[in-house]
Amino acid sequence: MDLFLQTAINGLLIGGVFAAFSLGFQLAFGVLHVVDFAVGGWVMLGGYAGYWGSTLLGVDPFLLLPATFALFAATGYLLGPLIYRVRTTRYARPALMTLAFTFGLFLVMRGGALTVWGFDTRAVSTVVSGENIRIGPVVIPMLRLIAFLFAALLALGLFAVLYRTRLGLAIRATAQSREYAGLVGVDVKRLSAMVYALYTGLTGVAGVLMAAIYSVTPETGLRYTLFAFFVAVLAGLGSVGGVLAAALFLGVLEAMVAVYVGSSYSHLVVFATLYLVLLLSPQGILRRGAIAES
Amino acid sequence: MAHGITRRKFLARSGLVAGAATGFAARSARAGEAPVLRVGVVTSLSGKDVLGGNLTKRGYDFWAETVNAAGGIEVAGRRVRVQMFYGDDQSTPSAGADAAERLIVQEKVDAIFGPYTSGSTIAVSPICDKYQVPMIAGSAESPNVWKRRPRYTFGMIPAVDLTAGKSIAVIVEQANPKPRSAAVVGVNEPFSKETAEGFQKGARDIKLEVARYDLIPARADLAPVVSSVASANPDIVAVGGHEEVLINFVRASKALGYRPKALIMHYGVTVPAFAEQLGKDADGTLGITVWTPDVPYRDDVFGTAAEYDQKSFKRWGTHPDYTEAACSASGLVLAAAMRKLGKLPPYSREDRQALNAAIEDTSLTTFYGPVRFAKSGDHQHCNIEPVPVLIQIRGGQQVTVGPQDAKKSDMVYPLPAWT
Repeated sequence: MDLFLQTAINGLLIGGVFAAFSLGFQLAFGVLHVVDFAVGGWVMLGGYAGYWGSTLLGVDPFLLLPATFALFAATGYLLGPLIYRVRTTRYARPALMTLAFTFGLFLVMRGGALTVWGFDTRAVSTVVSGENIRIGPVVIPMLRLIAFLFAALLALGLFAVLYRTRLGLAIRATAQSREYAGLVGVDVKRLSAMVYALYTGLTGVAGVLMAAIYSVTPETGLRYTLFAFFVAVLAGLGSVGGVLAAALFLGVLEAMVAVYVGSSYSHLVVFATLYLVLLLSPQGILRRGAIAES
Repeated sequence: MAHGITRRKFLARSGLVAGAATGFAARSARAGEAPVLRVGVVTSLSGKDVLGGNLTKRGYDFWAETVNAAGGIEVAGRRVRVQMFYGDDQSTPSAGADAAERLIVQEKVDAIFGPYTSGSTIAVSPICDKYQVPMIAGSAESPNVWKRRPRYTFGMIPAVDLTAGKSIAVIVEQANPKPRSAAVVGVNEPFSKETAEGFQKGARDIKLEVARYDLIPARADLAPVVSSVASANPDIVAVGGHEEVLINFVRASKALGYRPKALIMHYGVTVPAFAEQLGKDADGTLGITVWTPDVPYRDDVFGTAAEYDQKSFKRWGTHPDYTEAACSASGLVLAAAMRKLGKLPPYSREDRQALNAAIEDTSLTTFYGPVRFAKSGDHQHCNIEPVPVLIQIRGGQQVTVGPQDAKKSDMVYPLPAWT
């Protein structure tokens, strides 16, 4: 029973962090209709930003989270129009072109990281690294708890923006229909850049959290791309609301399989679940995903 | 007759003279040039194994730079310079096989230095057999490389089934009170899995209870794995993997407040990044190595093991681990075989067959230690001479703690709780 509780806690906590980088991914898909392959790249670069922050500036990466958000958001804002241009091109298959574009972007990020930081594994240390809280038989790693709370805060903040502000209204309108949003006065191009900025900012911050929990190498990105994609599909592509539930489900599923079935089966079970969801409920577990336009 | 020679004859004869002169000049220049040994390096220069790939490259390059700085390898009274050609296996075996074929067919290399991973080495090995190009692998440790009985592949590091199992016995021999159980975790890829199997077999051979055996995907979340190991409460935890998973395992253990009495990992503990990135959390971790700068061996190219360590540190800025050392020693084995062959490169197919036979007969002592390849059996062409030692990280440094006759200090056992 103790192990079951511990495993559930482990899964929930890491699921929260999966949510942090999947939220932005989902938002970018909802508004820009872009499946961003570079999501893992942004997580990886966020990790290196945290590493540089702690080693070069000597500042705890947690204190640098707002600056990391600003830096990544600014980069995303500059890159956003480019993505928008590729996505709305008049040439054939813009969705596929965007997929190839973001995959290329991911490769550039990975190659760039290899050049700048080399091939060594980098660990990001914070003041709470290695600390934990013991509640009866259950041990809660402090870093994972803070990362979970932070992710929950991000999700709440994002919901507040989406459902309580005019910007959020414009984002939701654009997600529903770019044309109609444009007709009622939304500057779709600028809004798309802002959404992409929000996405890269959130993902960069999640990257710092991931690197503090694990470590970072130029090769870490792909795993996060796969998980973001998994969470997005499970939540229903385009549904921001389902992300938290899907990410927590993924975290707990992976942890339970690792402990009670065998770690070597965890990816098999995780992706078999993804397959089943696509087969039985393509709109996601909460049935809130986007429906293909005819 | 106004002219004794027509314009056509003049052009033809002057063309002939010019051609002959050019040919003679080129031949004279070649005769005066230092002969060059073309060596291909197939290793992971991109992809998930890029860290280890670059360690092997450093080791091979350091040998080439060192011999070239000394004027080259002395063969049959001439100095042979070394030219390196690189093939990236992109951390996948099939790309390694393609890279090896390109180096052999297009770059016409005379010999190959092998990949970082055993998986790539297994893929490259048949290519070397096909073209009869000798390959010396400075990193491959999987017994599967040798079970296939490759004809043209040689390995400098003893296979992991010869080293991992013994290390558990050495821990038990050194520990007080005696451990009674062990848990084994390995990444589900060829080398790490075989390391884990070696640990498991070693534990069973000395009658330890194996409380948990788990293979995990690369880059899995380790918190659930550590939790399940902790619930089994073994005395020894053995992890088979490369540096990234080892770093993450220690971090996850500390985050969950779990510390076994002994934590042993195979490859990766001796990589400088392990102690650098973990800081004081690396202290107490045990590792297996077949080489440290303390070993009492020397040769004429690098000097003593300690001198090799210093020179390599000066060149690369980090202290070499046993893989880098084994890769540099690969060059020494190749050079010794060339001297024995007594022929200058480039090598024909027959020359390469003779070179391969000379490598097979190697009996050499280098700064890395003794080199002698098994000629038959399940470890055919694997260097079975080096004796594995158990090291423990203390204050970021590797301290030899076993076996009894090699140890510099007592092993810290049981490990203290995390602070």
